[in-house]
Amino acid sequence: MAAIGHVSGLRRRRARIAWLCMIPLILVNLLVIVGPAVQSIYYSFTSWDGLSSAHWVGLANYVDLVQDPQFVQGLLHNIEWTIIFLIVPMVMGLFGAYLLTMIKRGRALFRVIFFLPYVVASVVVAAIWQRLLAPHHGFASLFKINFLGDTHTALWSVAFINNWAWWGFLLVVFLAAMQGVNPSLYEAAELDGAGHWAKFVSVTLPAIRPTFMFLALMTIIWSFLVFDYIYILTQGGPAGSTDMLSTVLYRAAFSEQQAGYGAAIGVVMAVISGIVIAAFRIFQRVRRWDV
Amino acid sequence: MTDNVTSRRAFLGLGLAGAAGTGLLAGCSGSSGAVNGSDLQIWGAFASQDIQAYFEKEFVRPFNQKSPVQVQLSAKPSNTIDRLTQTALASGAGPDIITADGPGQALSYARSGKIDNLDDYVDQFDWDSYYLDWALRPCRVDGRLMSLPVQLESLVLFYNTAVFKKHGWKPPTTRAELEAICADAQARGMMPLAMGNAGYQAGNEWYLSMFLNHAAGPDNVYQALIGRKRWASDVFVDAIELFKSYFDKGWAGGATADYFTNLGADLDSDLATGKAAMMPCGTWQIQNLPLYFGDGTGSIGDWDWVPFPPLADGVPDNLFPLAIGQCYQLNANTRHPKQGAAYLNYLVSDPAKQLKALSDVQFEPPPVHFSIDDFPDDLDSRIARLYHQLTTTKAIGYTTWTFLSQQSDTYLWTDIEKVVTGQLTARDYLSGMDEVFTPDLKSGNVPQAPAPMEVK
Repeated sequence: MAAIGHVSGLRRRRARIAWLCMIPLILVNLLVIVGPAVQSIYYSFTSWDGLSSAHWVGLANYVDLVQDPQFVQGLLHNIEWTIIFLIVPMVMGLFGAYLLTMIKRGRALFRVIFFLPYVVASVVVAAIWQRLLAPHHGFASLFKINFLGDTHTALWSVAFINNWAWWGFLLVVFLAAMQGVNPSLYEAAELDGAGHWAKFVSVTLPAIRPTFMFLALMTIIWSFLVFDYIYILTQGGPAGSTDMLSTVLYRAAFSEQQAGYGAAIGVVMAVISGIVIAAFRIFQRVRRWDV
Repeated sequence: MTDNVTSRRAFLGLGLAGAAGTGLLAGCSGSSGAVNGSDLQIWGAFASQDIQAYFEKEFVRPFNQKSPVQVQLSAKPSNTIDRLTQTALASGAGPDIITADGPGQALSYARSGKIDNLDDYVDQFDWDSYYLDWALRPCRVDGRLMSLPVQLESLVLFYNTAVFKKHGWKPPTTRAELEAICADAQARGMMPLAMGNAGYQAGNEWYLSMFLNHAAGPDNVYQALIGRKRWASDVFVDAIELFKSYFDKGWAGGATADYFTNLGADLDSDLATGKAAMMPCGTWQIQNLPLYFGDGTGSIGDWDWVPFPPLADGVPDNLFPLAIGQCYQLNANTRHPKQGAAYLNYLVSDPAKQLKALSDVQFEPPPVHFSIDDFPDDLDSRIARLYHQLTTTKAIGYTTWTFLSQQSDTYLWTDIEKVVTGQLTARDYLSGMDEVFTPDLKSGNVPQAPAPMEVK
């Protein structure tokens, strides 16, 4: 009994120490995340111009959002972007990682090569691709298409450039997950006569499901936050064809000096992320999947 | 023993965590203006370190040698200085001397209550006599002087002299002449008008300002700015449709899609190498074009400029849409208001010094009276001609970034892209402008424009 009490007391003491050590981190979190977030929510109900006093306007900003064609267009583009990035880089990352698991020699080299674009600054990547896709000076002149200047191709072109820098990251994460799969599962599948595709579908995918679901969740959230490549390459143009919620927010807050309206857009973006996270949590409970 | 070890470890862990947290919090303090310091802080954005060094040498150190309050210059990136300034002002900080992107932005800063009134210093420094008649008007808010204009700019037509000579072209003075050159240049495989907005979407406002003034006429623009004419009037619809027609014909930037991907540096190079015939642009190009012309650049000929020709009957010749590129303001929280005002005066006064800076590094001078003696002998004759005409012209127009609020101006340069790509008609576009502009005008967010007849 004394030993149990001693262990229990030790656990409580360790928990107290852990909480005490977390206090500075919690304070920083409150200061730089929670505080501004609460402020943003407040300002979203005002007509704040970003400089002078804020005047309460209630739900006016949210009513204007729903009727604002720029906001609706940005939201649709974000949805389109999400669909693209849930499919293209995920499939490329998965298959690339699976192929790399089948080789030993050169695996590390390929991992570095595919990961390299991810570590290059987005400004640099965008500048390089802007030159490559220049209609009269770059290699894109061979295609006689102005990829970034045409309203029909601009969004997909920016997505292509972003994907070029992004998919290597997914590949490296998927590869790490696949390397943790128990080899005996593959042996068992081979004994049952499974080929590569069957092993991939029946062994690899279920085994890496937690990693896959986590990256899918983050891809959706990050897709609604996308800004850098859009802003550097097209600034939302031409004619709003690459406008995202983030560029609409940026323009409202800094060019139009409607910071309150911009805050409302930010709150909507946060709510969307919250809905996505909640959906995954429900998935986790219902399907008992790890996320 | 275990408890002692745990206590020591706990103490060390707390100490480390506390130090890390303190360091993080200290790092979050952000950049501070010197509103609470003993110096005068000014933030500036410069095209190069050489130009920044010139500013320090000519506009900071001489003042500091004679002033008990020292000026501290802090260089900021040109594409973010306004965001940094806005954020700093919103938090009650920011530099003592605020640099605003023109009267529209200066007005919004002034309305925030964070900018000092400069009326007390007008007589002291005789700014009414020093500045051009129209120059201080856009900088007044509710009758009070809230900023000082710097960087007099306009919109003109640049061209390559060798290219024009080769093809027998003369600098256009009418719409017919301009369009004839455009058609001929296009037939020869050249870009008729070097235009584009890649990297700076707001550049649309330059070309819009040209067509609104030179096609609709400055009198009509003035009437719209004071609310006596709707933007959706026929005269403006015609101007915007003319603007769109230049895109449809492939004159603006070579093709509509190309316009959105034409980078400024490429356009400068195209003009210098003869791939583009003409370049309608701002007078700030006097800083960029010399880099692309001359020995070792691969250019042909040299650059020159003419006023953009009138595009409709009744529009005056030699029309210069006026622009104020920047304004200086005094932070209301500065601890040195008198010294700050004295430094503001130092920055903009002395016409000979201003023109020397124009000659040395192409610093655009403020809109002040210049005498012929003020122009240095080594000043490029094209630049001397430009600023002589700008400061003596009687035919003025109105650029959108100087004489509109930021919200109205932003609407103009964002939605015009829908017009040129055929998604929006000119009339619907201008009706939208009325919806944005009218409340702006009513709430006093539109800078005061000088009437054309006020220019003496």
